[in-house]
Amino acid sequence: MTGRVIVITSGKGGVGKTTTSANIGTALAKSGAKVVLIDTDIGLRNLDLLLGLENRIVYTLVDVVEERCKLKQALVKDKKNPNLCLLAAAQTRDKTAVSAEQLKEICEELQEDYDFILVDCPAGIEHGFQTAISGASEAIVVTTPEMSAVRDADRIIGLLEAKEEIKSYKLLVNRVRPNLIKANDMMSVDEVVDILSCNLIGVIPEDTGIITSTNRGEPIVNDENSLAGKAYKNVALRILGEEVPFLDIDEPHGVIDKIKHFFSKIKAKA
Amino acid sequence: MKDIFTNLYNKVIGFFQAEKGDSSKVIASNRLKLVLMHDRTNLDTFTMQKMREQLIKVISKYIEIDQEALDLNLEGEGDAIALMLNIPVIRARTMEEIEAIEKAEEEEMAQKALEANEESKDDETENSSDDCENLDDDTENEENNENDESNDCEEQNESDKENTKADKKLKSKQPQN
Repeated sequence: MTGRVIVITSGKGGVGKTTTSANIGTALAKSGAKVVLIDTDIGLRNLDLLLGLENRIVYTLVDVVEERCKLKQALVKDKKNPNLCLLAAAQTRDKTAVSAEQLKEICEELQEDYDFILVDCPAGIEHGFQTAISGASEAIVVTTPEMSAVRDADRIIGLLEAKEEIKSYKLLVNRVRPNLIKANDMMSVDEVVDILSCNLIGVIPEDTGIITSTNRGEPIVNDENSLAGKAYKNVALRILGEEVPFLDIDEPHGVIDKIKHFFSKIKAKA
Repeated sequence: MKDIFTNLYNKVIGFFQAEKGDSSKVIASNRLKLVLMHDRTNLDTFTMQKMREQLIKVISKYIEIDQEALDLNLEGEGDAIALMLNIPVIRARTMEEIEAIEKAEEEEMAQKALEANEESKDDETENSSDDCENLDDDTENEENNENDESNDCEEQNESDKENTKADKKLKSKQPQN
């Protein structure tokens, strides 16, 4: 068995890399795949919090690299789903504690036993980023419909393109606010995709449920009623090769919205 | 009565037209496209400015243009990037004007070549400048006596002055850029 190594990256901080990693990982595990999540944000680890595993961590990625434990000992099993494991980052060290070659070796070892290895990348384009992408052959670039996030995503895409090992990369637009888009105060997903000219793998609406789910330490995909949870589930299905239509969050819903949409189309033609 | 109707009509149309020209989304999208174009091509503002200045110089030779309104930008669709130059033309120059400009240009070039020559001469004569000064002191008493060496020395001083003037001009120009 050779598992797929997917790095989740963004360039800019705070756009939702870790939330995305936790949710896609959980959704993939729920579908029956064996998944390892690796947190490479050494010194600023958070993936354990989002999964509610912060009290179970004994060994970290740095302990594995420095041979204080075996790789299998450092993998922490998820509370609910035995298919999901976490390899946490060390909190007391910095990014230089793990080299690109070392992470690559770890990914190769994990590929033998797991279907998916998801690497949660730190923000920035320095050492931490270069290390995180070293073992991956696929990438998911997380962005939001904001200028700074899109610009950073463009830079990241440029760096991913230059890396031969990365065979494919896809865009995930996070924190989309349909109301702002309708009011013409936020770039639409189509515009972001057009500007970055990159294939889309997911559109996640802004959801206050993300905050409460983080508070509880339980990824939002476990909440059947949440729109963001549904959107993350769809991303996981797309990763598994299914064709799932994107959630219609841009489309007008009310009668007045539809009339507005109609008029704006006429104006665009003229 | 007519006013009321037109007012009402405008309000209704305004309400239904969702696309506003200056909405923050459009501004963001346009700014982003521009900045990404620069990021991708590695062209910084200084280089663009330099290119702009040189383009103005070349184009102004043949047509009189509105230099302030000249618009030089990178635009692109998808992966292709184009350099868009929008020049408001005031009028085309006549043959005589073009010739006059060319002549002035040639003279400028010749002047520059001369200056460059003198500069290299300066470097050569630097070692002998001490001798030159001594000579100057000697010749002060006999002003009518004009030998080749003192002539050389004067010329050199003059060209030095010119050089420092040129330097000052350059310096005063820079902040404007």
